[in-house]
Amino acid sequence: MRKVLVALALTALGGFTGGPATAREGIEALARTCNNCHGIGGVSVGNSMPSIGGLPVEYLRTVMKQWKYDERSAITMNRVVKGFSDDELDALAAYFAKQPWKPSPQRVSPEVLAKGKSAVSEKCEDCHGITGSDPDVGVPKINGQWAKYMELELEKYRSGEFKMPHRKMKKAAQEAKPAEAPAAARYYGAQNR
Amino acid sequence: MHTFDRRSFLKTVSAAAGASLLCVPQARATTAKARVVVVGGGYGGATAARYLRLLDPGIDVTLIERGTRYTSCPLSNEVISGERDIKTLQSGYGGLSGRGVKVVHDEVTRIDPASKSVATASGEAYAYDALILSPGVDFNFSAVQGLTQELADTRIPHAWKAGPQTLLLKKQLESLPDGGRFIIAVPPGPFRCPPGPYERAAQVAMYCKHHGKKKAKILILDSNDTFSKKPLFEEAWKALYGYGEGGMIEWVSGANGGKVESVDPGTMTCQTTFDQHKGDVVNIIPPHRAGKIAIDAGLANFKGVWCSVKPENMESTAHKDIYVIGDSCVGGEVATGNAFPKSAHMANSQAKVVAASLVAKLNGLPPPKPIYTNACYSVVGHEWGFSVVHLFRVENNQWVYIKEGSGISPVTFGTPKAPKPVPRIYRKMEAEYADGWLRNLLADSFA
Repeated sequence: MRKVLVALALTALGGFTGGPATAREGIEALARTCNNCHGIGGVSVGNSMPSIGGLPVEYLRTVMKQWKYDERSAITMNRVVKGFSDDELDALAAYFAKQPWKPSPQRVSPEVLAKGKSAVSEKCEDCHGITGSDPDVGVPKINGQWAKYMELELEKYRSGEFKMPHRKMKKAAQEAKPAEAPAAARYYGAQNR
Repeated sequence: MHTFDRRSFLKTVSAAAGASLLCVPQARATTAKARVVVVGGGYGGATAARYLRLLDPGIDVTLIERGTRYTSCPLSNEVISGERDIKTLQSGYGGLSGRGVKVVHDEVTRIDPASKSVATASGEAYAYDALILSPGVDFNFSAVQGLTQELADTRIPHAWKAGPQTLLLKKQLESLPDGGRFIIAVPPGPFRCPPGPYERAAQVAMYCKHHGKKKAKILILDSNDTFSKKPLFEEAWKALYGYGEGGMIEWVSGANGGKVESVDPGTMTCQTTFDQHKGDVVNIIPPHRAGKIAIDAGLANFKGVWCSVKPENMESTAHKDIYVIGDSCVGGEVATGNAFPKSAHMANSQAKVVAASLVAKLNGLPPPKPIYTNACYSVVGHEWGFSVVHLFRVENNQWVYIKEGSGISPVTFGTPKAPKPVPRIYRKMEAEYADGWLRNLLADSFA
């Protein structure tokens, strides 16, 4: 019994060859290599690195494949994902999608909050929801996502220097006034649920 | 530092592991299934201890480390330039204790592979079923004539172990006269943090540029003929500080006589193969070798200075049940020039491989399939950073460097015939990513 239990724990964080749960076990080992930058269970503690646990499987799968096949620009992740097979990326997406979403709500001034909310209700709410916790199907939750990370992503959308295939997101980001994008990011970053 | 209390951390970990982790029987002192001793509480040792307990709380884990507070080498060049408070790079060992790791602050003086025990300076002995050694590097001061440990602690710091020497070098930089010269001497590879000396040159130049020392010179005297992320550094040096003739930063390769053979501490003069160079600040990074304890234990069987280990689980090829991780080991595709870089991230990755392998072995389960990854960010100016990533797999009991999943940040855009510079926003993003990476790496090792 104990062996079985430990094997289960191992599959949660480790990885194996052989045995009945080969596929699953291999994936767990791969997932552990993500912890260095995205935290255990995909809960990041660094504000420029996104939390990824609990994001929709189709979102995770799509962005990783797009990076791999140079359909979407990244700076670090596009290099990282090229070392993994499509099956591995699919399994990683499934693994992180199964983790619970853990918001890391960040403090923000009432002024920025108000400004952010107004920008959000005009440009973001349609897909992401008013607090970011109840988005459309396939759209990532962003309540309590790191504001710094979201600001940087918005800059990527706005700069025109990155291949960003999501047209609706690109349009919304580019239409925002310069102060609106960071305010929206901080507003969502402040949300708990 | 972002606070992350233990309760929320445990919740996270349980979440990561699913319900299964909670089912693992809790450790009872009398029923520990194995004793693992970890020597060295840097990134490698801390991660190994942490993941052993995460994967199987039934294992008795003792971590022996001299210091009570660890200072991260990654991003410590930012402390020298005043861009970062050294406290943001530090961690205690409370996180590991909280996970049931027995943290002992002592120094291991002897390893006995035959009786499987280690002895410490305070006279204690610890028996082990498995020993994980992560002692970092030692410096071979005598390789540079005139250099001593005492000089490094007082006047010619290497600052290649983050801590007091980092702060000493920072002080020296602050008193550098405008028009003064800051010498960085780079040892022959392999050395810890391959891009580190060149990032340091940039950080020093940034400090000088913004603190009324625009006429200062940073002279890199290198024992080697090339270096990590070279085109990225050269682009940044040129754009930000001036590089080469008339610029703030000058690099002398080994082939051009960059290797420092000796130093005269009286006149602060470095003697290289062809020349003498006098510096106002002299930062000599001495040649490295495996930590003394690893060499003393007869584990340094690679060129007499590094520890050879097995690709599948990092076990020493010299002694059974001893695993050597971090900067002391040698791994990767050495023959093709794609050895494991000596980095914090790499040590963390190796530690996870050992932890998973040991837990499987101790529970009679089949060996896990290892995977090794590295990421390393360098910050060279305000809003200017870049990175390198590595991926290694193990096939037929050999390390295989996975080129497709490795490499440095883009150097140019456009086509080879019509290259275009990479937009600055790419460098800005990676300067921001560096801090997020550091925070997560520290947490993944010490929390």
